[in-house]
Amino acid sequence: MKILATVYKEFLLLVRDPGGMALIFIMPLALVIVMALVQDAPFRDYQEIKLEVLFIDEDQDSLSAKIMEAFQASPNVVLIQKQDTTEAKRLVQAGKFKAAIVLPKSASADLRRKTKQLITTVFSNFGFPAEIDSTQLPAINIKMFFDPAIKSNYKQALSGAVEKIAATVQTEWVLDELQQQLSEGKEEAPKKIAIDVSKIMRVDQRFASENKYQGLMLNSVQHNVPAWTMFAMFFILYPLAGNFIKEREEGSMLRLRLISGSQWPVISGKFGFYFLICLVQFLLMIAVGIFIMPLLGLTKLVLGSNPLGILITACSVAMAATGYGVLIAVYFRTAQQALSFGSVSVVILSAIGGVWVPIYVMPEILQTVSRFSPMSWGLESFNDLFLRQASIRAILPNVLRLIGFALVALAASVVIHKSRTVV
Amino acid sequence: MSTCAVQLDNLTKQYPHSAKRAVSSLTFEIQEGSVFGLLGPNGAGKSTTVMMLCGLMRPDAGSISVFGLDVLEKGADIRKRIGVAPQEIALFPTLTAYENLFYFGRMYGMRAADIRSQIKKYLHIFGLSEKRNKTVSTFSGGMKKRLNLIAAILHHPKLIILDEPTAGVDVQSRNMILDFLKSMKYEGSTIIYSSHVLEEAERICSHLGIIDEGKLLTTGTRTSIMSAHHECKNLEQIFLKLTGKNIRD
Repeated sequence: MKILATVYKEFLLLVRDPGGMALIFIMPLALVIVMALVQDAPFRDYQEIKLEVLFIDEDQDSLSAKIMEAFQASPNVVLIQKQDTTEAKRLVQAGKFKAAIVLPKSASADLRRKTKQLITTVFSNFGFPAEIDSTQLPAINIKMFFDPAIKSNYKQALSGAVEKIAATVQTEWVLDELQQQLSEGKEEAPKKIAIDVSKIMRVDQRFASENKYQGLMLNSVQHNVPAWTMFAMFFILYPLAGNFIKEREEGSMLRLRLISGSQWPVISGKFGFYFLICLVQFLLMIAVGIFIMPLLGLTKLVLGSNPLGILITACSVAMAATGYGVLIAVYFRTAQQALSFGSVSVVILSAIGGVWVPIYVMPEILQTVSRFSPMSWGLESFNDLFLRQASIRAILPNVLRLIGFALVALAASVVIHKSRTVV
Repeated sequence: MSTCAVQLDNLTKQYPHSAKRAVSSLTFEIQEGSVFGLLGPNGAGKSTTVMMLCGLMRPDAGSISVFGLDVLEKGADIRKRIGVAPQEIALFPTLTAYENLFYFGRMYGMRAADIRSQIKKYLHIFGLSEKRNKTVSTFSGGMKKRLNLIAAILHHPKLIILDEPTAGVDVQSRNMILDFLKSMKYEGSTIIYSSHVLEEAERICSHLGIIDEGKLLTTGTRTSIMSAHHECKNLEQIFLKLTGKNIRD
């Protein structure tokens, strides 16, 4: 009854504090929406590369047709044709485009000639009759210009793609020439076989999770909603510590200290109330991810297939956040100290915990440090559940870490609180 | 024969980094059913004594027993039997008078029905019935002090400790509080009344203890103290005679 009375009292205090209500509910919702929108582009940048590349087709023959055909099929590159190499170079230099591909004049003809020369040399070497062209042909030089600010992985990906197309075309033409040479001199030459070398070997890319959520990747919504939800949950320390210290300064805490047996109900009632508030925050933020984000042109938050796991993780994050808030409230003697330290510490924990940017893009040292942030435990758990369709067993280590963190924080709070309530 | 409600034996307390003892070998008794005025100038050691009495501060030496129970050993049991009205307003400003009292009643472990009847009774006595649903932040200083007192006595404590209960209140509120305390005395409650206002102490206290610099200067019934200092016309003159006329900070 004492705990319930404290929970109800905390509820009344909160609903009569518009600033506190805004801090707990409005600000996090605004934050998650803004951050998801702001980080949408960088996330697409990481995973959904859509490069606009200039293509200067001086060849105007079958090789250029093959290159355009191959890039048309690519979801990541859009070729924009230009006539003038100098202008293309200037545009890339100015950062308007990330790269330019210049296919030199008569590249197709040169490639055909080189292929023929190669095959006739081979035939002649094996004693077949063949007309050898002994002209020294230079290598066909496909030029690529890059914006100096291009990320190296984009540069590599684009070069690789061009090289792959060139190699495929070369192989196809070698095989064509081979058939041509073999059929020469025959009265009834067999029909040429069209060989699609891309079908000889292919790389089958799949996601490890094999269910209806296969293909779901970390995007701005999938990252920002759980990440900033945890940030908001940990920011519960602000109203929690603020109210706690205000009660201490105003004297109502003194009266409670004078009431026998009220210490445990006061602490646990506060803990229980703010724990529930954290869960309400979680539900609201998830609802924003599911219903509001798509209205803003973002993807819909996908929760995966383990609702119990999500509930367990949300509860353990809420416990850790509330426990930390209680510790800050009890340890610091003034609101200014508690709120300054508390908010800065939450920002630091969130930064190293992967809330601002995913842990995998951080430097190695920060990736190591992040293992000690409760927010990284929570975020990893949510990613496991949302993206990897993890079982409860898989998230258990992080859940236990979060609960352990909460229990240690609460135990420390009780020790500190008791040491200040002398007898 | 009256029994002893509070017994202080050789109580001593010195704060860290302080050259002087806040309370030094303080020994006196408070009889059950009495209104004991704990008087002294600023820094005399009254608040420190009250804090140790409530179990909120550990003495360096000596002992305190309340209703025969040692405060250090049975602090929780003792706190069940006492009600304290601290000098500051120990209430939640954004809760209403009723919500404040109901919450404290719950924390005292009272049943809802009892809390409701007690709230009704005391709000009526202290003239706050019409303000029961107003938030405390809208109350005047006098109303807050009255509500602060109700919060201390809601659970029928056997010992009531009041620290400057009339500080900063108007004459009407002060009169109401003092009349009520007199009535509590007749109901058998023991009251420790810590105050600067000697006129009030003279009006309601049956027993007095004057302390200064942590030491007990005199204690006894009001009549016995007045008789012992017959050359003084009133309590204020006795107080000044014992504590001196130097200004205290």
